[in-house]
Amino acid sequence: MKTLLTAVVAALMATTAYAHEWTPTYPKFEPSFIEDIVVTTMTLFNKRSDVEYYEITVHDADWNLVPFASATKLVYIPYLGKESVEIYIREADCDRIEYICTTSKQLLLDAPSSGIDSRICSKV
Amino acid sequence: MLRLFAALAVAVVGTTANAESVPITGNVASKCSIYTSVAGVYGNPAPDQLDTDPVKGGVDPVVRFDVTAADYYIAKISWPNSFATSPSLDDALAWDGEVTVSQTSDTGMAGYEAAKVEYDNITEYDLTVAGSTWFQIESSVDYGYGKSFPGGEYAANVTAECIAS
Repeated sequence: MKTLLTAVVAALMATTAYAHEWTPTYPKFEPSFIEDIVVTTMTLFNKRSDVEYYEITVHDADWNLVPFASATKLVYIPYLGKESVEIYIREADCDRIEYICTTSKQLLLDAPSSGIDSRICSKV
Repeated sequence: MLRLFAALAVAVVGTTANAESVPITGNVASKCSIYTSVAGVYGNPAPDQLDTDPVKGGVDPVVRFDVTAADYYIAKISWPNSFATSPSLDDALAWDGEVTVSQTSDTGMAGYEAAKVEYDNITEYDLTVAGSTWFQIESSVDYGYGKSFPGGEYAANVTAECIAS
């Protein structure tokens, strides 16, 4: 029981305030250098010292995943780092895209670090 | 003559010291930030129970949402319904939870709690006022029927979402 208690306490320790930001709130797509492909640039700011990876996803109004391309879909970003991410989608998908989201991802080893996953979605 | 030159020099210098207008520009964009104010701790009040309730030896996690413009975002907060890390468990888990507004930075947010929408393990709040809102999340889980949780590491994650509306 003592082991369990110790593990549980260690698992979700109190932390100070950490945040993550994903802007702009209302991104606009523009034509890219590739025909029939549009692009927008989003900025991710990591103020969470307990998280270094963020996953990017694109969704329609029913939260179904929409295919997109970017340099990386799982962004490594150190504490207090800022990263601009270009997101490419097919022009044909422009009308059905509703949200572009980032979700904090914790390594399995770090899973107990804060116990809170943060997700921010911008609306197209 | 010397006085005349001196007066002309002062006049020329004076004309070069014209006032320049220095613009100050700024841009306020709508933005949402999610802060982990307090991470939770499960207490173990009974062998088959984990609970973040302070009365039961736990700590409720607190998440802060900052929005810079009103009516742009919806907060969706989910209490856990599975473990992120745990030993092998061979019996059923009964999860429960509750999300409440614990603190606000503006009196206009007083109606958030009454207007919240709850479904499954998710609670939604319409962030209609700019500023900071703190949400407290309670989480509890019971294991089997009178069974003890096996020893080991347990972790469960709260999900805090800020979705542009």
